[in-house]
Amino acid sequence: MKMAVFWGCCILTSQYAYEMSIRQVLPHFGIELVDLPEAICCGDPIKSVNTFSASYLAARALSLASSTGLEDLLVPCNRCHFTLSETKKTIRDNTKTGQKMLGLLGEEGLKYDANIKMWHTIDLLHDYVGLKRIEKAVTKPLKGLKVAAHVGCQIIRYTDLGRVDDAENPKKLDELINALGAEVVEYPEKLDCCGAALLRSHVDSALSLAGSKLKAVQNLQADGMVVSCPECQLMFDAKQKDAGTTVGAKLHVPVVYYTQLLGLALGIDGKKLGLDLNQSPVDQLQAKICA
Amino acid sequence: MLNAAPKGEIDLGLCDLMSMAKPNVEVRDKILARIGGKELVNCFQCVKCTSGCTALKLLELKPHEIIKLVNLGFVDELPSSDIIWTCVTCLKCVQRCPQKASPYHVIIALRNLAVEREAKVPEGYLKAVSQILETGQVDTYQKIVTRNMETVDRERLKLPKICQPKESFQTVFMKTMEEKTA
Repeated sequence: MKMAVFWGCCILTSQYAYEMSIRQVLPHFGIELVDLPEAICCGDPIKSVNTFSASYLAARALSLASSTGLEDLLVPCNRCHFTLSETKKTIRDNTKTGQKMLGLLGEEGLKYDANIKMWHTIDLLHDYVGLKRIEKAVTKPLKGLKVAAHVGCQIIRYTDLGRVDDAENPKKLDELINALGAEVVEYPEKLDCCGAALLRSHVDSALSLAGSKLKAVQNLQADGMVVSCPECQLMFDAKQKDAGTTVGAKLHVPVVYYTQLLGLALGIDGKKLGLDLNQSPVDQLQAKICA
Repeated sequence: MLNAAPKGEIDLGLCDLMSMAKPNVEVRDKILARIGGKELVNCFQCVKCTSGCTALKLLELKPHEIIKLVNLGFVDELPSSDIIWTCVTCLKCVQRCPQKASPYHVIIALRNLAVEREAKVPEGYLKAVSQILETGQVDTYQKIVTRNMETVDRERLKLPKICQPKESFQTVFMKTMEEKTA
């Protein structure tokens, strides 16, 4: 399948490992990605300033995706996926706001196509590729590896929008991890938020949220934490040291993207998956896999 | 408390706010219109939103109080309060509200109102707007130092170059910023 991909800002400007690992693993399942002609923000960061402008950016991203002529769109960032989904609904409901947006898109010579189907990395791998195909493709099963899953907030809430997984008991990421031969550890803090949205206003609180969750995961004695959102990765991986300082704990939790873990199980070289870019001690986890 | 607002702002209870202010029905209706309905009115204060609120733990955000204040029209103080900026946007309140009063959307509407009134808005959000206007994106391309102390960027990692939006974008984006009905 050929599909368009909207990366958003976070992945394209700093979370390179997510992009690298996605570009590495999807061709193994016959998925070819087509980049959009322009890079723009999904709008979410400025919702607080002006909701209309934010939605316009999302509608613009969807139009750019339609301009590729493809019917499917991959949106690997949880936050972008939410904003694009909500805007899609606004336009589908034929509200005044939606009509205004379509008018402005016209001014830019862009056309909106309501039929484009949106995917996130998790449902693309779970529902489209399927667990069986992933199990078959695994050449290096991750036997003996125990990890905690962090799904993030915005791909599972709120249900009325049509989300990637169940809001209160998401299972798809767990099942995807199991498909690689690894074990998933359950923990009460599973649905806790990473805090990234507070980085623009309350940095210490953001770090404190990330730190408390990491502390809980560290106490599980798991081999690491698996995420599927660039902002969650930013908080738990790149900012792990700062988060530890904020909550007064020495944190050493390896944090990886699911696509990185999948890549390792497919036998892809860690460097190609961007594992060098992770700031958390992922060598620990890699050593355990190779052992 | 980390980053807490100056005393007096955060410690205000429902009664304090109500005894200090007069209801402003006009602004209330504006907020109701923004979130696209009268669902707010149906809130029966079950406090599900607050009991599951991520920001309650750290920053004492109580979404049910905000809903009540807006519902009664006590909305003049809220846009200038730091409390509306403490929401983490985890969307648990939207998901769990049995009456579809979605506190998240009300909080975002209040933030928009704060911007319109030129109240105290965290700088990070305004910076985001100017950054988007300039480059189309909210972040700038960063060089990353790997765990092996190697400095890398997109080019070094052999990642494709992606273009900035065409010129028409800026003009239309400026137009959207004038819009106040969303």
